[in-house]
Amino acid sequence: PLSGNAEIRIEGMTCNSCVQSIEETISKRKGVRSAKVSLANHQGTFEYDPLVTTPEELRGAVEDMGFDAFLPESNS
Amino acid sequence: MTKHEFFVDMTCEGCSGAVTRVLTKLDVKFDIDLPNKKVFIDSDKDKDVLLETLKKTGKTVTYIGPK
Repeated sequence: PLSGNAEIRIEGMTCNSCVQSIEETISKRKGVRSAKVSLANHQGTFEYDPLVTTPEELRGAVEDMGFDAFLPESNS
Repeated sequence: MTKHEFFVDMTCEGCSGAVTRVLTKLDVKFDIDLPNKKVFIDSDKDKDVLLETLKKTGKTVTYIGPK
């Protein structure tokens, strides 16, 4: 089974409830297998199905929630 | 212009910051009362549109009513 890993830098989270809402919301998206967000590292790690979604879409979804989200340069 | 009152389960500045951003994109006038978990929005937009926008943050949102 195909699987991709997207690392997304997320700014604007200040507590665990921010972390939880991101994890819950993103993991409900189509094509997302797992969502893990670290408050300390300002980073989200998302396992996704490349046939269904893309890192850019995931980034957009996090941004839609009201956070600043960036894809690292190396992540394409 | 109607003033709508919403309950949004915000627990920190990060949460209210997220609410601020999604509402800024919608271009409406609003006030956030973080200690009481309330958001007041001045808008002619339908309350369901506002509700959907607030729900984008992934938080529990309830419409309380016009004020």
